[in-house]
Parts: sequence; C-alpha cells; structure tokens
Amino acid sequence: MAKYQINAAHLYADLMNTYGDYGNLVALRYYAQQIGVDFNVDVVSIGDEFHDQKYDFVLFGGGQDYEEQVVAADLPTKSAAIKRYIEADGPFLGVCGGFQLLGEYFLLADGTRVEGISAMRHYTLNQPHNRFTGNIRIQSEETGQIYVGFENHQGRTFIADNERPLGNVLSGNGNNGEDHGEGLIYKNVFGTYFHGPILTRNGNLALRMLAIILKRKYPEIDWKAKLAPVEPESF
Amino acid sequence: MTIKSSFAKMVGKSTYFVLTKVFHRGGTSLPGTLAMKIDPNVLQTMANQYNVILVTGTNGKTLTTTLITRVLREKYTDVITNHSGSNMLQGITGTMLSAKVKDRTQKPLLVLEVDEANVEEVSRQLKPKAFVLTNIFRDQLDRYGEIYTTYEKILRGIRLVPEATLFVNADSPIFMRGDLPNPRVNFGFNHVPAKGDERAPHNTDGILSPTDNSILSYHFRTFANQGDYFSKTDDFKRPTLDYAVTKLNQLTPKFSNFDLDGETYQIEIGGMYNIYNALAAYTVGRTLGVSKTQIHHAFESNEQIFGRQEQIQVKDKAVTIVLIKNPVGANQVLEMMKTDPDPKSVMVLLNANYADGIDTSWIWDAEFEDLKDMNVQALATGGERYKDVYVRLKMSGFGDHPFYPSMKQVVGAIEKMPTKNVYVMATYTAMLQLREQLAQRGYLKNHQMGE
Ligand SMILES: [Zn+2]
Repeated sequence: MAKYQINAAHLYADLMNTYGDYGNLVALRYYAQQIGVDFNVDVVSIGDEFHDQKYDFVLFGGGQDYEEQVVAADLPTKSAAIKRYIEADGPFLGVCGGFQLLGEYFLLADGTRVEGISAMRHYTLNQPHNRFTGNIRIQSEETGQIYVGFENHQGRTFIADNERPLGNVLSGNGNNGEDHGEGLIYKNVFGTYFHGPILTRNGNLALRMLAIILKRKYPEIDWKAKLAPVEPESF
Repeated sequence: MTIKSSFAKMVGKSTYFVLTKVFHRGGTSLPGTLAMKIDPNVLQTMANQYNVILVTGTNGKTLTTTLITRVLREKYTDVITNHSGSNMLQGITGTMLSAKVKDRTQKPLLVLEVDEANVEEVSRQLKPKAFVLTNIFRDQLDRYGEIYTTYEKILRGIRLVPEATLFVNADSPIFMRGDLPNPRVNFGFNHVPAKGDERAPHNTDGILSPTDNSILSYHFRTFANQGDYFSKTDDFKRPTLDYAVTKLNQLTPKFSNFDLDGETYQIEIGGMYNIYNALAAYTVGRTLGVSKTQIHHAFESNEQIFGRQEQIQVKDKAVTIVLIKNPVGANQVLEMMKTDPDPKSVMVLLNANYADGIDTSWIWDAEFEDLKDMNVQALATGGERYKDVYVRLKMSGFGDHPFYPSMKQVVGAIEKMPTKNVYVMATYTAMLQLREQLAQRGYLKNHQMGE
C-alpha cells in the first residue's frame, strides 16, 4: 500500500451514471498512481450514509431525469453531511445533475420542480424545446487554462453571487447561453456540464483538482513539486 | 402487488388466447385493388388481413425479427417481414402489398421490426396481435433520450391494444413497469441456481424496482441489468418464466450451445445477447405451436442470418470486425471475445459522426479493462477520435500503445499484427471506412458495404 491515499465517494454511482462521468475517477486514479498515491472509491447510494469525515473527494455525476428525481428524494438524508463536507472545503466534482442538485432547485422538461439541497445558491431552469448539445471550450479566469468538453443539457443554470464560473465560454453555450459562464466554483466544489469526461479530457484540470485534494489532506507535503513532472493528457 | 398477481392470471390465459383466437380466425383474401395509393385507411384495411407481431426494444430487434420469421415459417405458410427503416409505415405497406399469399385459409403473419419511437403509430394503424419486447438499454443520448422515456413510448403503443399478447424478456426489470392488462408470456434465463445476492455494477442503468424505486438485487445476472432480480424492500421479484434458457453448454465467438427448457440448441453466432434473441424466437414459436424439431431446424438452417460479425482475411490474419456503439453493446462484445481462448490482437476504432453518436463519453462506461484477461498480444487504437479511445485505454492500465489517425494506417497496422487472430472493435462509420480501405486493397472482393 502506498504511503498516501485518497478516499473518494462516488455519490449515487449506480443511478447517476449516464454520461461516462465515472471516467473522472479513472483519470484521477491514473494521475495519483504516478505520484505514489492510492485512490480508493466507495459507492454511496440510496439508503447509504454519507460519512463526510471519511472522504477526500466526492464525485456526483449526471443522470437521467427519472433517476435524478429518485436521487433527489433520497438526498435529504445526506444533505447535512454533504453541507458539512462542502463547508469544510471538501473537494467535490459535480457534473450536470450532480451540481444542479447541490443548488436550490431545478425544473425538469415537463415543468416539474425538483428541490436541491441548497448547499449552494444556484438554481436551474429548463428550456422546453431546446437542448445545449455539442463541443464546448472554456477558459479559466484564475489559471488561464483552457478546458474542452461535450455539453449535453436542457437545464439552464444561474449561479449566485458567492459562486463563480469554472470558466468563460470561448465556444459553445455554457450554463445558460446568456452569461458566458460555464460550470461553477464554490470553495472546493467544482460544477460543470462537461461530459467527455472533463478530467479525462483536461489533464490540466485533473492535476489542479488532485493538488487541491492532496494539499488539504497532507498539507505538509509539497504536492506541486511532486505533480510537476506528471504529463497531463488532453484531447 | 397488482403487477405480480396479474402476471399469474395472464400467463395462464396467453397460450390459449394466441392459439385459438388470434391465428386461426380464417383469413380473407387481400383485395388486389389496393396496390395503388398509400393512405392510412388503406393501411388499416390491409392490416386487418394480417396477424401482426411487432418486435421492439433497443437492441437485438433485427436478429430477433429474423429468427422469429424463420421459426414461424417452419409451421406457417405465409410469414412476411420488414426491414426497419425511417419511412416506417410506408415500408410496411409496401411489404404487405408485395407479399404473395399462398394459403388463403388463414391470415398471413406479419413480423415487424419497429423502432421504439414508432411503436405507437404502428400500433394505432396495425393493431398488433402480439408484441415482442427484447430489452431497453441506453444508447447515444444525444439522439435517443432516456430509457424510461423510451419505454413510455412503447407503453403508449401497447396500451392501444390491451388484448395483444406480450412476449416479454422478463430478465429485464423495466418491462415490469406500466401495470398492463395484456396477456403475457415471459422468457428469461434459469441457467444457474437462484442463490446469489448481488447488485449490478455501478455503470448499469434500469436497475430500479417498479414498485418503490429501490435498487434491485439479483440472484444472478446474465449481463447489464438483466437476470433474476428481486427487491429487498418488498416482495417484488422476477415473474415465473414460461420459457427459459436452462443451461449454457458452450459459448464461443462463433457459436453458442445452450439448453432451452432442457433441450439442447445451437446458433451459429457468439454472444449472450444473441441467446436472448434466440430465446425470444423460441418463445414465440413454442407459443404458436412450432415444434422443437422445427425450431432446431430453423436455428440451424442458415449461418448468414447472423450477419454483422464477419471475418475478413487480411494476409494471414483472420480479422473479425465487431460493431460497438454503447456501453452495453461494447461490454457484450468484450464478453464474446473472452470466449475465444486463442492469442489475439485488438484494434479499437472510434468515430463520432452522427451515425456513431456524437458524444464519445460512453467509452468510459464500457469495461475495456476486461481486455487484460483475454490473451491480448497487441493492442492499438484508431479512427477519427483515436485520441479519446487512446486515452481511455492508456488510463485503464494499458499504457502507451500504437494509435493510427488514418484508416490507411489502420489497415497497415492490421497486416503487421503479431497474431493470426485479430479483432477490430469499431463504431459504425469507422467500420464503413475500414471496409472501404479493405476493399481498395482487395481484401473485400465484392466490396459489399455493411448494413
Ligand atoms: Zn448532462
């Protein structure tokens, strides 16, 4: 066993699993292994307890409307622990429904209002006869990094004052097609509509996330130096 | 539970229903004057002259339709079938118009492959006497939508004909939704004792109980969300099977040998999913009085019906091209390759054109990690989206490996692969491009394109 390890929770992995978001864990493990860090994954699903102290990273992927409602009904049982985790700067990647549900609410195509857990203050509307589908490129304001992906969503998300976009849209639609933002960042929570999956296609972002995770867990180690020689994949 | 109790009733009724009421009603002759304009009323009138069996589901429709047709032809004189296409109703009308009915004493059977989205319209026009439900797996989501929505579309069609018999893949829990009054014949797998207690892998869809949306457990799984499921929160479970695979004798990439209700059958194609297709045809056939001997004959009669997986000789290499398009399909291809113990080379080709699905993220849900345990001597990637699939395999523990952006290079690489046995897993347009290249180099004699 390696000296260092990351314990990840894959929230509702067996329900929110429509768009290959699992690949984000494959990518993080791939990079972690190169610097001698083990990467363990637990599935935390319906009826399971979420132990916020146990995890160093959480992935919450996107799903289909039907499953998303089933998940929304179960989420209140975990919402206190998820909020504790987020407020304690826990690293979190929410994709599509996985970050919509952290906000206040979202509307489904048929108008149904699904309550989020209000851990954050964004909300998501719907566009009944349109869908944002296609390749997308964004640029991160704080790092200048460019991220590419494939967006496929009907929801239109509007972020709050204490949240900022993951990047500014260079081409594509982004959160809502209006404000040129894509995804969101709040503390160490990253949200995005990117499939593809985002961390497999954007090694720069994967390494950025890995640095956040490891620095929080093992602050005494110089992770930047350890990660420097790792070659990021991007396509 | 209403669903459960209604099963019992329906199963009892179904055989009698189908045999006596549906298929021996005595047919009327086809009015010859209809061979003109196509309008919906004409279609309805013509539909009355046929007993329609509608085959639908996301995967396996074509082979199931073909097998059902073969099986029924063993007993019935007039069995016609269609090829699914975009112009559904017109195509069906054409099929009916061109059919030459020999036996006027009973209505001809019309076995139709129908896309999920067209089930409602076809049901309204043709009032099928029976539906065959194969499975529902998710496909490229940028085009096809969600599995529960897909099933809802099928349900809307079935609800128009509550007296139609349903031939149901009962291993697929989604088909237990909808509380339908129709008579029902269930088929599935009973090849191992129902002793286990497992959940489907994390990347499986359609695993929710229809009663309370809890996550189903399985006594055993065949693949994906299919198997002998049960709920731990209430008494929901897979219904009793009317027809079943009772034993798997030998699975290879080229044939499958298995028992149906205790008797051995063989089909000249590999893959568990194809056994489901054969089981569906067997179920329809047995219910409609086709004998076991006749079904044997139908299964054995012709290798070509199994299409799709062909072998092409490239120098000294026997190259098997298999189509991949979604996680469930790709996983099944991988399972099929596992049944081949010989050393092999594998080439994975990914395109993302409309016909392939423009979102490539599904490759992360396919279990390419399985390639590790199947005697793979050389691995390579290619296609227009070679980088996606290259990284997919690289991150899955295969490390750096050769990749080929152009199809010319792909063919060159295949020629030099270290084993005689080569598998090419390719998405649809990548397969077409590969075939084009192979044809140009003279490896494909008559330059047939794929389906
Ligand atoms: Zn999405």
